[in-house]
Amino acid sequence: MTPTTTVTFPEWRDKSLDDALLECRDQVESADFDTVKRWREAGGKVVGHFQVSFPEEIVHAAGMLPFKVRGAPTEPDLADSHFGSYLCSILKTSLELALSDRVQFDMFVSHPICDAARNLAAIWGRNFDYPCQILYLPQNPNSAGSLDYLRHEYDRIRRVVEEVAGREISDDDLATSVAVFNENRRLMRELYDIKREQPWLIAAEDAYALVALAGMIPREEHNELLTTLLPQIRERSAKQEDRIRVVFEGGFCEQPPFDLIRMLGRTCYLVDDDFHIGMRWITSDVDIEGDPLRNLAEAYIERSSYSPVQHDLRKPKEKMLIARINEARADAAILAAAKMCEPGLEEQVTYTHALDDEGIAYFVSEFEENMTSFSQLEMQLETFVENLLFA
Amino acid sequence: MAYAAGVDVGSTQTKAIIINEDAEIVGRALLDTGANVIQAAEDAYAEALAESGISQDEVEYVVGTGYGRYRVTFGNSQVTEISCHGRGAVHLFPNTRTVVDMGGQDTKAISVTADGEITDFCMNDKCAAGTGRFLGAASAALDIPLGDLGPVSLQSTKPIKISTTCTVFAESEVLAWIGKGKKIEDILWGVHKSIASRSAGLMRRVGIEDEITFTGGVSRNEGMVKALEERLEKKLNISEDCHYMGALGAAMFALDNIQAARTPAETGANS
Amino acid sequence: MSTLEDTQELVGRGNIEGAALFRDWFANLGETAKTGGAAAYVFVMGSTNEILKTFDLPVVFPEITSLQTAVRRVAHELLEEAEDYGYSPDICGYVKADVAVQLRGGDHPMGRLPKPTISVLTNACNTYIKWAEIWERMHGTPMYTIDVPGTRQAGGQTWAGNADFEADRKYVEVQLRELITVCEQVTGKTFDIDKFREVLGHANTMTRCWSRMLELNSARPSVFNALTDGTIYLGVANAFRGTEEGARYFERLVEEMEYKVANGIGQDLEEKYRLLFVGVPCYPIFRRFNELFSEWGGTFVNSTYLWFASGGTNRGFEYDLDNPLASLAEGMLVSVRDAMDSMFHQDTVLEQMITDHEADGVIFHPIKSCRTVSTGLADGRRSLSEKTGTPSLFIESDMMDRRVVSEAQMKNRIDAFFEGLASRRQLAQAGPKD
Repeated sequence: MTPTTTVTFPEWRDKSLDDALLECRDQVESADFDTVKRWREAGGKVVGHFQVSFPEEIVHAAGMLPFKVRGAPTEPDLADSHFGSYLCSILKTSLELALSDRVQFDMFVSHPICDAARNLAAIWGRNFDYPCQILYLPQNPNSAGSLDYLRHEYDRIRRVVEEVAGREISDDDLATSVAVFNENRRLMRELYDIKREQPWLIAAEDAYALVALAGMIPREEHNELLTTLLPQIRERSAKQEDRIRVVFEGGFCEQPPFDLIRMLGRTCYLVDDDFHIGMRWITSDVDIEGDPLRNLAEAYIERSSYSPVQHDLRKPKEKMLIARINEARADAAILAAAKMCEPGLEEQVTYTHALDDEGIAYFVSEFEENMTSFSQLEMQLETFVENLLFA
Repeated sequence: MAYAAGVDVGSTQTKAIIINEDAEIVGRALLDTGANVIQAAEDAYAEALAESGISQDEVEYVVGTGYGRYRVTFGNSQVTEISCHGRGAVHLFPNTRTVVDMGGQDTKAISVTADGEITDFCMNDKCAAGTGRFLGAASAALDIPLGDLGPVSLQSTKPIKISTTCTVFAESEVLAWIGKGKKIEDILWGVHKSIASRSAGLMRRVGIEDEITFTGGVSRNEGMVKALEERLEKKLNISEDCHYMGALGAAMFALDNIQAARTPAETGANS
Repeated sequence: MSTLEDTQELVGRGNIEGAALFRDWFANLGETAKTGGAAAYVFVMGSTNEILKTFDLPVVFPEITSLQTAVRRVAHELLEEAEDYGYSPDICGYVKADVAVQLRGGDHPMGRLPKPTISVLTNACNTYIKWAEIWERMHGTPMYTIDVPGTRQAGGQTWAGNADFEADRKYVEVQLRELITVCEQVTGKTFDIDKFREVLGHANTMTRCWSRMLELNSARPSVFNALTDGTIYLGVANAFRGTEEGARYFERLVEEMEYKVANGIGQDLEEKYRLLFVGVPCYPIFRRFNELFSEWGGTFVNSTYLWFASGGTNRGFEYDLDNPLASLAEGMLVSVRDAMDSMFHQDTVLEQMITDHEADGVIFHPIKSCRTVSTGLADGRRSLSEKTGTPSLFIESDMMDRRVVSEAQMKNRIDAFFEGLASRRQLAQAGPKD
């Protein structure tokens, strides 16, 4: 079996919708990443890319598995001594996955999204022999020079990926991969349409699991999964309930614990969010015709989402958030930030001030990926929701 | 016969040790530090003298250690408790290479050479997670005396996972687990495991090498000993005197000074 | 030859003149604030002072104005104000002190700061970007980000002529041209290339002197304290970059240090242990922090702070005046990249520093406020210890927030570190055991 035909996640197949979704949740909730192990056992290579956005097409075109490094709900037993205090959890648990051999890599890439993460490639590089690269995505996408620059930077990464893969990546390979990912982006948009239009059809944690899986299985498999499940979800006979509609903001990097998302979904309808926004970064199809690297670079700069860690004068974050809330016809926003996340915590201030001005209700909180107790948070959130419902 | 003494004024307890020229312990004392630090040091020293049956005049040199080392007004000099725990541990267990000292306020990981030289050390910063204080918070939340925490935790069959690393929140998390109907021993074992995990992380910073000696007040807690041993997958050196390790190390430094004064030609250029 | 008159005139001159220049800088900013004149807000890693000075724009370094509030022991009031405004206790203290100063209309303990007319920043610290976004929202200040790509993998730096380097240079150069256009709009002045060359010339002199200064401190005994004196020099190096005063100051400073080296005049104490400092100083107890080391005869002979907070000018890159813009782009790439490397890959450069400066120990000082500088220090230290075995100390505190600075806790560790250094030296002198 060649890696590209390897099935890394067979558990959901031939199952009822509810059972299939249960398998998806189990896979995402586990910190073992079995899908990656299966890929490797079949002889495949793995390129880990840290949050937020990465041109996975380049790795895919080389026949390797792009794996979204997003931490894990686990203790950083081995990684902790490589870091100081005052740091977010995702940084430590991501390195923990590698140090504990739970996920084995052939290459690691990060983008300097924040002051902590930009140190990660250096730390990783001191502890592993495979290439540990920094991809410098433009932080001045408003400059006339940014497109040429990014095209060159993608090409540079292509050369490193080729070395690791031991094969060339042709423009045709890239165009084929772009088509696979375009299909994936379309399906993800469809999933979010359901969340926005008929949120009672899919539980918040199920939608989350479906998105997260994209980062840990081959995209062809993910396309098949969504193509099969989305129509079934649409056909469900669930009834709309009287719940408030909220947008969750704060999941662009470290992920809230699965149980926290479950708890949120029990209390309100999560009609839009920024969970794993990097895998939904490009908001429409990438051109297939012409220079694929330029097309990818163009899409990153011109047709993309927003997060506190990307600077673009055309996209003031608070205006983008308000647009997201309005488009989702949400009643309120949950503004969460990972503990010790500098950009997330800073953006919270801008968000709250802008939402105050707009008269939009919001709930502010902090989370950590490996927290296990939410009783206080749940009580506060329920009070917030009650206030909105009975106001 | 000349004698040397070490007085370790800790945040919670004050310890004193008196040794003879052969470095044998001839007197020891342990009491709560309380609000009057100077008094505590004097009392502990007096008690150790009384136990040894020797007079103050026979003690040629006294070294103060611990956070209150500069308050040991009768002391001849001061040495940090980090150096003292390292020195004491190597004296008691000569093959010690790593020391974990768990006290009331902080935890220290120390790596030492065969000479007792400290090659590296690390302490928990600003946060009390992984220290005796965390146990104190659990003890308060469960209303179980500190000394019983270890034995109770050892009865656990299904430990729960404590997620907070913050002493301030430890109490509310412990209470939340009680609210969920979890058994006290399972919660407590979870607390011990959480501390052991934090402490192991601290030890990794200095490198974990055999043998490991466990010192400080918490070393008397058998639950903590077991949790640490399971975590590290290694046996720990433990003795009754581990609680006195800082004072013992200080007494050893005092003995050095006595011997150096007698053979000035042989000493190095240390000033 | 040394004479008493020379010694009296030269020794300590740099500190006196540096403090005076620093006061002048603040006084000028106060004047600008009073008259409502234009001012640029910039940062120490890639200040682009070379362009801003060509437009005669006064520059505010909020990193420096913020740290001054800690040195003057009022930072805690400002931090609390910014926290009341919504900022978390866990974010950068520089940002918070500045937010409070902005909320107070520029009221700073050293005088009034002008409002930002424009902010110019690089990506060398991501918080620079978040910070400028705050002014953009608070005052509507236009911001220009110069995106300077750094090292892509340890040891993988490229240089002029390499295709990857040239792609980066082109990107930086386009941005510098765009910045010039923005400056023309903000000031209503036309860019004067001759003046620009003059500014670059002064910057070259300062860069040359800066590298020389660091080199001179490898003397035994060392001639300046990298932590305390070094911070004074850094203030001038940043605020006066590209100016005639700045160039003259550093020429005179080198003169002083060469004199001290030639005459064996060291720091004001007996140098027992030569130390390197990694990180950002502990400003809330700035002098006391140094004393905790000097009490044991420890002197700071170099620091990564003198590298990255000088924007990487320690690299010694000098601009080609015949090709000024392309050369500035190259210089920014080389210097800012080096500033970043001295934070992210500090272990490799420290190895060289230990040898060059005959260091006995390395003090790592990670801080709550700055993840850029602090995140990699624990791992870097592990790696350095494995490779060199040089004793090192790891103490965490903050450069602004006295709530996490515990002097007693610090002293305990510093004392233990020196006890270790002493016993190590004693054992070494006693010779190997049989």
